[in-house]
Amino acid sequence: MARLAPFLLTDGRFPVGAHTYSAGLEPAVAAGLTRARIPALLKARLHTTVVTETAAAVLALRASHHDPVDHEPVQQALAARTPTAPLRDASAALGRGVHRLARRLAPDHPAVTALARLRPRPLRPIALGALAAVLDVGEEALAHGIVYDELQTIASAALKLLPGDPLDSVAWIVAVEPEAAAVVAEALAVRTPTDLPARTPPLIERWALEHDRRERRLFLA
Amino acid sequence: MSGPTAAGGQAAEPHHPAVVAVERDASGRHLARELTPGAFLAPRPLLPCPDRMRIALVGTRAGLLAGDDLRLHITVGPGARLELVEPSGLVAYDHRGGASAWRAVVHIAAGGRLDWDGQPFVIAHGARVDRTTEVTLAPGARMLWRDTLVLGRSGERGGAVRARTRAVHDGRELLVEDLDLTDPGLRELPGVLGPNRVVGSVTALGVRPPGPPHPYRTDLAGPGAQVRLVDTGAPEMEADLSALYERWRTETGPG
Repeated sequence: MARLAPFLLTDGRFPVGAHTYSAGLEPAVAAGLTRARIPALLKARLHTTVVTETAAAVLALRASHHDPVDHEPVQQALAARTPTAPLRDASAALGRGVHRLARRLAPDHPAVTALARLRPRPLRPIALGALAAVLDVGEEALAHGIVYDELQTIASAALKLLPGDPLDSVAWIVAVEPEAAAVVAEALAVRTPTDLPARTPPLIERWALEHDRRERRLFLA
Repeated sequence: MSGPTAAGGQAAEPHHPAVVAVERDASGRHLARELTPGAFLAPRPLLPCPDRMRIALVGTRAGLLAGDDLRLHITVGPGARLELVEPSGLVAYDHRGGASAWRAVVHIAAGGRLDWDGQPFVIAHGARVDRTTEVTLAPGARMLWRDTLVLGRSGERGGAVRARTRAVHDGRELLVEDLDLTDPGLRELPGVLGPNRVVGSVTALGVRPPGPPHPYRTDLAGPGAQVRLVDTGAPEMEADLSALYERWRTETGPG
């Protein structure tokens, strides 16, 4: 399983609701972001939110190997670093899908039963950390998977929101490889929930609040 | 650094913190247990109010230069209420390759309340400031904080600032932020600040203020709320945040 699992985690066909998420692209486009600026948005997210989420997932995976499993400290740290309510809500909605899948695969796994005890419901990175434990995915593969998933989510949402040459999306992702590698390294170096990075992107938060008030939208965030 | 180095004739060491400690005695009277001028700020009591202590943080130096380390320690005792006022903003000047620091440590005991009406902090071209704010709130404690960072004086791209805030309420992290505006190339990315140069916020910790909804209000994961605005210039945003600060200050009930 460990060989296929990293691919499964980052596959757009993974049935956990990721198609409802644009990783901030739809709110950014509504605020005027153009197709030419998508690579800059990728960099902005790789410098801020992606570091926090990736590091949180890695911490949740490590917590999943402890006895007993307690996801609460990481979940709490992540929530305190996600001050924008609609972004927490979107993360919890996506986390629900991941949690459901983890339950289907290993209902009795201690990392999965520990997810059910979280109130409020597990945020997506916490659920992904637990799922990685179920699938026997290592920290580094998980971190790469989360970063890659973020980039692919934006790139594929761009096909709907700012249509253009589909080959561009591969070029965008290849171009930010150094930044992606830096995120993985920073995330793996985090040892405790207190040390979880918290770099704030003010406009991404502002756009999320604007998006939340809109009635016509394709993606939940 | 030129100009007077301390208020009231007291010599202050370069890294000496300004200290404000306020208590409320059994009869409900507010007492300043400690008002110590630091190297940069002198706390001055304002006209007494029956239900709170009001203190002005008066700047005693021109602003921050390379090597400066401004420290501020605020303590609010059980059930006490402190209002901090800043008569003027702060400017960090060109550090010519150096760096400066601004650090505040705030402790609010059970039932205590701090209202801090911070004035704009201008980070001029060439400045490099590390700002940290650490807030510890006991159960039932609360804080209202207004805070504005301005990158550059008019016409400037602005210096570098990294503003970190960590608020812990009842032993749990409530808000942790790292506004890293150090690298102009990164902070001008879409989603971070883009073309904006001013970041202002009003943050309520320990309480979720009632009142009419603000389009940029977010409720924190715990008891707290924040409105953060970004803009290319300060004036309009300041009016909006001033009104919000007053509303939240008066609508969150008696301290």
